[in-house]
Amino acid sequence: MRYSLLGNGKRMCPILCIASCELVGGDEELAMPLACALEMVHAMSLIHDDLPCMDDDDLRRGKPTNHKVFGECIAVLAGDALLSLAFEHIASKTKNVSPDRVVRAIAELGSAIGSRGVVAGQVVDIDSEGKEVSLKTLEYIHVHKTAKLVEASAVCGAIVGGADVAGIERLRKYARSIGLLYQVVDDILDVTKSSEELGKTAGKDLASDKATYPKLMGIEEAKKFAAKLVYQANEELASFDSAKAAPLYHLAKYIVRRQN
Amino acid sequence: MSPIQCSLSVPTQSKTPQFDLKTYWTTLTQEINQKLDQAVPIEYPDKIYEAMRYSVLAKGAKRAPPVMCVAACELFGGNRLAAFPTACALEMVHAASLIHDDLPCMDDDPSRRGQPSNHKIYGVDMAILAGDALFPLGFRHIVSHTPSDLVPEPQLLCVIAEIARAVGSTGMAAGQFLDLEGGPNSVEFVQEKKFGEMGECSAVCGGLLAGATDDEIQRLRRYGRAVGVLYQVVDDILEAKMMKSKVDEEKKEKKGKSYVAVYGVEKAIEVAEELRAKAKKELDGFEKYGDSVVPLYSFVDYAADRGFSFGESS
Repeated sequence: MRYSLLGNGKRMCPILCIASCELVGGDEELAMPLACALEMVHAMSLIHDDLPCMDDDDLRRGKPTNHKVFGECIAVLAGDALLSLAFEHIASKTKNVSPDRVVRAIAELGSAIGSRGVVAGQVVDIDSEGKEVSLKTLEYIHVHKTAKLVEASAVCGAIVGGADVAGIERLRKYARSIGLLYQVVDDILDVTKSSEELGKTAGKDLASDKATYPKLMGIEEAKKFAAKLVYQANEELASFDSAKAAPLYHLAKYIVRRQN
Repeated sequence: MSPIQCSLSVPTQSKTPQFDLKTYWTTLTQEINQKLDQAVPIEYPDKIYEAMRYSVLAKGAKRAPPVMCVAACELFGGNRLAAFPTACALEMVHAASLIHDDLPCMDDDPSRRGQPSNHKIYGVDMAILAGDALFPLGFRHIVSHTPSDLVPEPQLLCVIAEIARAVGSTGMAAGQFLDLEGGPNSVEFVQEKKFGEMGECSAVCGGLLAGATDDEIQRLRRYGRAVGVLYQVVDDILEAKMMKSKVDEEKKEKKGKSYVAVYGVEKAIEVAEELRAKAKKELDGFEKYGDSVVPLYSFVDYAADRGFSFGESS
């Protein structure tokens, strides 16, 4: 569990969660258990994703994948254990947040990672292998595999930070845009960078003939789409105090400019 | 199928009045099955829901965790409606851990509950994902369907924490790991973790939903654990007896720890009787609740004596 959880992750979900919480007037401590839980479920989905019967990846975040080090059996169990630990952690460690808000956060997270979230994305991804994939399907895959959890990170942070419904929805839309943005940029990088720079197996998409944004739109259009998503994300932040929203503006900028 | 008596000649202090457990159980499970059917409807992408439903709605499922949960809730005068969402969640989480348990890299079981294992029908990747989807669905179901006028949110959070703990790295996952990789002297630990946890968790959740006191919860915890392990020890005994009478040499060595395999049938029977007595002793502390404790007593006797059959086993 620790190998994957404490490995070199960017911690985007936890950071977004805390930033959202602070944006709406909450403290970092309120969101910390949730932030950790988000990273646990993220790590868990990567462990299972890398398994031989799934994506069959040898490298992740610059290191051998979990099952390569510990074996498949432990990798499956470690993923399962991280998943339950996440919920246990939120339910038992969140302090000074009204119980009904914690319950809402749990509902949000549960929705984001299961058959309406990450799992749905993975299923459609698997189903689409070797087939003609439309842009609509590609977006479905990325929204569900990636953007939903990013969305949940921001929304959960906002919930425990005390946001009202309108504020939560704006942050939801912001996060949905940058979540999708992350994946579009990922696709672009896979075409343009090497394994070493990326820290994971590069050129995989090209080799496996998997549908990607550059493949379906062309590199230039994909880059334009990325720029449009940044614009959309920033629009949602406009109604918040710009000083408090600074981390979120910069997060969007980082995602689009990153090199790995 | 006539009941195979496994108890020694020493009569136990049985307080159980006449109680039609079979009818109680079948009517309750009918309701639970209905609710589970509604809780996992087919949506896009269809295949994952089919895989999830395949395991959750399996006809051979006995529904012990949900029944235990409802009975424990009603013990304290709680409303069934408060317990149903959690009862369903327990079954979802139970199904999820069984799906993963059966995988080739784990127990490698080709069948479960009288039908092919999930991965045999849907493939290993879909089976992993079905399990991954059922865990969070369980938690989501509890928070979205439990009436807040019946169960205050703080108690709901305790239920979530309890279930998460029971299936996690200190609970069932630990049991599963040791079952596969531990030495023979880990068999008690394995039994406790793999089977005791679910029994304990189900009973405790029922109590939490009904607003039981801390002492009452601890009592339920010990009761549930004892019944869970008792059920498995008796399963092992029955299997050993069946194998002896069949002389089935081709039968595959069961992967995993069996109490009988390690300690022998005689000792296993002793342990079963101890567990039966222990479980009932815990229930004696609920005397003040009168008849509503009767179902819980009858679970103990059923686990030990198997007074009737459901058809296919486990």
